[in-house]
Amino acid sequence: MSAVMFSDVKAEELLSFLTLDTRPDIKGQATEYILGLSGNRDGCRFLQTNSDLIKALLTLTTDPSIAIVKDCYHTLINLSADETMHQLLVKNHDLIPRLFKNLLDPEYMFADRICTILTNLSRHMKTCKEVFKVMQEQNVGLAQIVDIFCTEGYNKQASLHYLGPLLSNLTQLPETRHFILDKERCVVQRLLPYTQYEASTVRRGGVIGTLRNCCFDHAHHEWLLSDAVDILPFLLLPLAGPEELSEEENEVLPLDLQYLPEDKIREEDPDIRKMLIETLILLTATKVGRQILKNKNAYCIMREFHNWEKEPQVIAACEKLIQALIGDEPEPSMENLLELEIPEDVEVKLKDMEAREEEQLKKDEEDRLNPDQAQQCAGIIRMM
Amino acid sequence: MASPAQQGDDSDDDMDGFMERFKKEKYSNAFSEDNWEEEFNTVPMFMKTAPEDIDPMKHPELAAIQSIIHDDDRPLEEQAKSLKDEGNDYFKDKKYKKAIVSYTAGLKKNCSDSNVNAILYTNRAAAHFHLGNMRSALNDAVIAKKLKPDHIKAFIRGASCCIELKKYADAFQWSEEGLKLQPTDKKLLELRATADRHKRAAERDARKAKVKEKKQRSEREALLKSIEERGIKLLIPRQGPKRSSDVEDDGDGGSSKAMSGLDLDGLCSAEATGAKVFLDEQGVIHWPVLFLYPEHQQTDFISAFSETSSFMDHFCLMFGAELPPWDTNRQYSPHNLQLFFEDQQKESLYEVNPDTSLLKSLQHKRYFVKAGTPSFVILVKGSPFCEKFLSERKTHRLK
Repeated sequence: MSAVMFSDVKAEELLSFLTLDTRPDIKGQATEYILGLSGNRDGCRFLQTNSDLIKALLTLTTDPSIAIVKDCYHTLINLSADETMHQLLVKNHDLIPRLFKNLLDPEYMFADRICTILTNLSRHMKTCKEVFKVMQEQNVGLAQIVDIFCTEGYNKQASLHYLGPLLSNLTQLPETRHFILDKERCVVQRLLPYTQYEASTVRRGGVIGTLRNCCFDHAHHEWLLSDAVDILPFLLLPLAGPEELSEEENEVLPLDLQYLPEDKIREEDPDIRKMLIETLILLTATKVGRQILKNKNAYCIMREFHNWEKEPQVIAACEKLIQALIGDEPEPSMENLLELEIPEDVEVKLKDMEAREEEQLKKDEEDRLNPDQAQQCAGIIRMM
Repeated sequence: MASPAQQGDDSDDDMDGFMERFKKEKYSNAFSEDNWEEEFNTVPMFMKTAPEDIDPMKHPELAAIQSIIHDDDRPLEEQAKSLKDEGNDYFKDKKYKKAIVSYTAGLKKNCSDSNVNAILYTNRAAAHFHLGNMRSALNDAVIAKKLKPDHIKAFIRGASCCIELKKYADAFQWSEEGLKLQPTDKKLLELRATADRHKRAAERDARKAKVKEKKQRSEREALLKSIEERGIKLLIPRQGPKRSSDVEDDGDGGSSKAMSGLDLDGLCSAEATGAKVFLDEQGVIHWPVLFLYPEHQQTDFISAFSETSSFMDHFCLMFGAELPPWDTNRQYSPHNLQLFFEDQQKESLYEVNPDTSLLKSLQHKRYFVKAGTPSFVILVKGSPFCEKFLSERKTHRLK
């Protein structure tokens, strides 16, 4: 049967070919065709007409043929990348539990693809909650996810880098932030070294996104900046360069930033650089945060960074941070900028000046609820 | 009691008689009134403290009780447990050496209960730790962990030992592993943070040392270059057996080899102050210089003689206001002095004009700076010693 004939076939008929018992060559062509459909919007809509499709795909992930399993997973990835498909996916109660089960299996070959699907599904709040609910029902703890993420070589066949963005997406939920920022445990501390993980932009970006979202909880700023966690050097190091600083400047910096070698390279991905700066800006929202960043000479690092950065968006963020670091302390009643409520009469006066700043704050809120567009959360694989 | 002779008598009478005697006579082995407290203390039951070492001769009862504890007939696990308890008691009293003896005895029983053995090893590790025997402590912790991989105390002990031994990466590893089993253990969280902090401090120290070394190297190179540019020659000492290893070790090739010539100032002067030649911010070289006064067997050491200064500048400072105490004849005034340097190779003296700068004199084609410290001979013009001194040597006078 050729692909041309398939396009005339109704969804139900297509479905009938998606069973384990179907002749392998027909099965293969069917899954290939469906993958192609899932790659575009219209195709997806076509597939949406039958909810048994997901069940069929899920079943076929147990097929002995690796090619077929791959196609099924890729189809699921494409479907999950489209928000309008989420309800369809979630309607199948077996899907997410099965995905998690395989994810935790250290021998499972397709664990990376599962990560991508889950990351896509958790991108928007509604389905994110669903994903989390399943995790709780299946007793898949965040602890487990973090553990696997931080265990080098947990799965010999999968890098599991996409657990990073998954975690980042899950931090939209207060429960996740609560877990990561647990003072009685060692969770956020284990994530910090990954801000410099060279081998994967996805992993790095995921961790930094996680940290950024957690920094919206300004009650934790002091703890995060204390020796118990010491988040600051991990945020500044990727932004620090090989430029030589004087001994006086060096001695005030956090230990990890002192006397950096001449081959030090800055973070290469501009979006990640921007996220790091955004996280630092969040930390300057509280007085104690500002104080600590000032005392630890963060300005020095950002000064050199500003001279080096070329991307306009990142420069703008950098300037905002520098302003917070060298600007005058706001009046006592304005100390906590995140809680700032502008009284009506003052609002009119300040409107012009601060219009831009408010816009940025609003955008930050949006970014928290909807993870950064540019971040590789949606691993879309479109195959025609 | 009643004596055999009275056996046939009425028992009441015997009783009375006995009671009479009881009131009056002391029974043998009675406690005396004077030292009954001491004597009480010798009875195991009433002892306030047990003696350190139980001598079977002095305390037969105690020795007997002790041997019951260490009865060989009980199952090994029980014996091991008792020894563990014994060790723990010693530990509580901070008697760590004795605790170790008990724990070791417990381990020697080789009982099959790996739980007990793990605890024995862990506790012995703790005892070693408190005695400062970090390596032994760590060894015991390693074994304990192997016997019982979920024994948190072993991890805590292992991590603590590593920190004391400054093996911070290992300490970190131990605490991470322990936290996997017990994610909320406060001590492990603390140890992890400490190990991490020290590790990062050590990394920073290494970076700082590297930066410093690089700076020193470039300063050295600049200095050598300046000396070379001025046409000043350094005398490199012939490499003796001690120094031969330097040739292999030299990472930066010629530079430090040349510098070793400049570091040997200790050999020359009895007043070696560790002063070294240096290049200042204006690009002027300052040398440590020796003035030798053979007439009086004296020397003067100038720690930083600017190459732009003249000898006369220094003479006026040194001999201007006050003459040196060894100058008994009061002859060493600035304009009375004659200046020479010695060319060792040709065993001759070259006269130097005191009004010239140090730089000029060092640039003399026969001047070789020895051990990084230029030296000059100073004599009194026309003095008998001077005449004699000069006549004994090949001398090149100034025209």
